[in-house]
Amino acid sequence: MTQRFWEALAEVEDPEMPVNLVDLGVIYGIKETEGTVEVDLTFTAMGCPASDFILDDVRERLLREPGVSDVRINVVWDPPWTTARITQAGRDALESWGLAV
Amino acid sequence: MTSAAELDQMIQSGELIESTSEMTPEYLRELKHTLIVSGDTELISAPAYYLAAKRAPSINAFMTGIAIIQDELAHAHIAYHILEELGEDQEKLIFSRDPKSFRYPYAFDVPLESWTELVVANGFYDQAGFCLLGDIHDKCSYGPWKRGLNKVMLEENFHLRNGRTWMKRISAAGGSAKEELQKAVDWMFPLSVEWFGLPDSMKMHSTQLEYRLKGLTNDQLRQWWLSTVVPYCEQIGVKVPAHKETKDSKDVWELDYPFPCEFDAENKRWDFKQPITWDDVLTRWRARGPRNSEMVAMFQEEFHNFRKTHKKDS
Repeated sequence: MTQRFWEALAEVEDPEMPVNLVDLGVIYGIKETEGTVEVDLTFTAMGCPASDFILDDVRERLLREPGVSDVRINVVWDPPWTTARITQAGRDALESWGLAV
Repeated sequence: MTSAAELDQMIQSGELIESTSEMTPEYLRELKHTLIVSGDTELISAPAYYLAAKRAPSINAFMTGIAIIQDELAHAHIAYHILEELGEDQEKLIFSRDPKSFRYPYAFDVPLESWTELVVANGFYDQAGFCLLGDIHDKCSYGPWKRGLNKVMLEENFHLRNGRTWMKRISAAGGSAKEELQKAVDWMFPLSVEWFGLPDSMKMHSTQLEYRLKGLTNDQLRQWWLSTVVPYCEQIGVKVPAHKETKDSKDVWELDYPFPCEFDAENKRWDFKQPITWDDVLTRWRARGPRNSEMVAMFQEEFHNFRKTHKKDS
């Protein structure tokens, strides 16, 4: 069951825009084996200036989940992120901030 | 133009002013002055930060540093763009002014020479910018500027985060890294405190407050800054010369050194045994500091060179 990890990452805000990482569509997959959570994640741009902050935040939030002892993050670029990956909730959040997607 | 009484009525009622036809000449002058300070501050932070960002310890850190510089240039652009709409010539403002006439805080004239000093600037100077702009965003009577600051506030948050994350990381590393951090804080903290200007006791009248271009006094802004920076530094184990006191059941932040006091810009050293007057400070500010002309030249020189070599008719 990885549902609770998806919910946890939906609490992590992008450092630059008022939208969480799940609604932004940058979390590609989550697996859990014996307390180790493995996350496939991408960035909206290869030169993402906030990449270090995002990795720190994801790790820190997942380690707060009961029973999680280790977090492994794979940064992936395939498939490439596009704005089509933003959920409707994410679109609404960005639009209220003045960014049309 | 509206009369002074009509304008005053609008300001008192909290109505926003949207065009020059609703302003008095005095309001327009004060608004332009405030915008120039804001635009110049954002603009000069770009070369100031760049000269330190190029010493970033990793590609990721360099990207973050460069992204912050890009943000600052965009923020400068917002202020200059509004000035243009108010009748100023943006090109002249940026490219044809004497370096000494730029109106940014003196702190930027003192060279940032390492990644450590850059992240302390992100933690201290961007926090100062956050307080000043946050207040304008909250209270400003001029609508176009107030709205333009929506995105600016979010981006300043990102800069603060860079500063705080790295300060914490460097402090935790201990040893000579932490010593270097403490040394940077030692000269940059008092410069940031000075940033907010004359104490309220010496500034009897503020036209900016009267016109609600801002909402908080110099001392209120300074207290706001101290209330965020001092606890954070204490939390990460960095010493700062200020402490909290309770006066009339209110928290007040007190400085542990005479304010203002003597600063040696070449050696980046404060002499806490040498109190000075605000006239001395104003003299130092007007003379500008070590890096003023070099930084202004960084964006002015090529603008003029390019025009010399790319004549339209050739």
